[in-house]
Amino acid sequence: MEIAVVGTSDFTLGFQLAGINRLYNSDDIEESAEHLKDLLNDKSVGIVVVNSELLTKLPERLRLRLSNSITPTVLGIGTEEDNTLRESIRKAIGVDLWK
Amino acid sequence: MALDIKPTRSELINLKRRIKQTQNGYKLLKMKRDGLFHEFRTLLSEMISAKQELTGTYKLALQRINLASAVEGGLAVKSAALASSTHPEVDVKRRNIMGVVVPSVEGTNLRVDMEKRGIGLIGSSPYIDEAADSYGKLIEKVVNAAEMEATLKRLLAEIESTKRRVNALEFKVIPEMEEARDFIQLRLEEMEREETFRLKRFKNK
Repeated sequence: MEIAVVGTSDFTLGFQLAGINRLYNSDDIEESAEHLKDLLNDKSVGIVVVNSELLTKLPERLRLRLSNSITPTVLGIGTEEDNTLRESIRKAIGVDLWK
Repeated sequence: MALDIKPTRSELINLKRRIKQTQNGYKLLKMKRDGLFHEFRTLLSEMISAKQELTGTYKLALQRINLASAVEGGLAVKSAALASSTHPEVDVKRRNIMGVVVPSVEGTNLRVDMEKRGIGLIGSSPYIDEAADSYGKLIEKVVNAAEMEATLKRLLAEIESTKRRVNALEFKVIPEMEEARDFIQLRLEEMEREETFRLKRFKNK
């Protein structure tokens, strides 16, 4: 399976340098959302890397779908840590264990 | 709810057996929940440090690529990126933690050696090399973090459903069955008293 990267061209450039060739460049949020929806149903992708800034701007429903998906696993990276997992822990267990 | 039970002795025996069975299952489920929780706690602390590392590596990689595009120009970086010929691949296998199937991800070709990057030793600049190297490291971390995140998500879902089942048994199913048992017992005693009273009256006549 492959790794896919979704984000602005600045974000994906570095991953391209490391050899990833499934890149989805777009500056538009709605366009990125479309890419992500396609990737969710793609069996050949194992990991989707998304800029966490983009992740926070996505519509709530899609964000939920992304964070619940296991294959592919969607991972947000950015200069700030994303809190989607923390939120789901709080929901499932009832206590914020992220410390 | 106790109204639709037949107050017979055989029903009472059945019910008693079922209560015992359910309590057994309840104990097992409780142990499963605690076991899952324990597993989750140990994984979570790993996950937290992995996430922090991921963010740190990303910051470094971002710095390096910015430096590379500043020194060499964005076009040079882009052409180097286009030239890279090896592609990282991930292999997803299954692993089992207490009955929960979790993915175990293994990556191949994550880090690309300098010679194999398809640019040649002379054609590339040290800045681009450094940037590519740190992105390779970043991808390694990404694969690791993705595996853990998927595992934690599965465990969370399992913990949630097990918790629901434990609570349903503890607060709904077992109390209802105990109520039914008590009802049958009382009813049987009552019937016995009626019977003796009837016999007494019969004798007196």
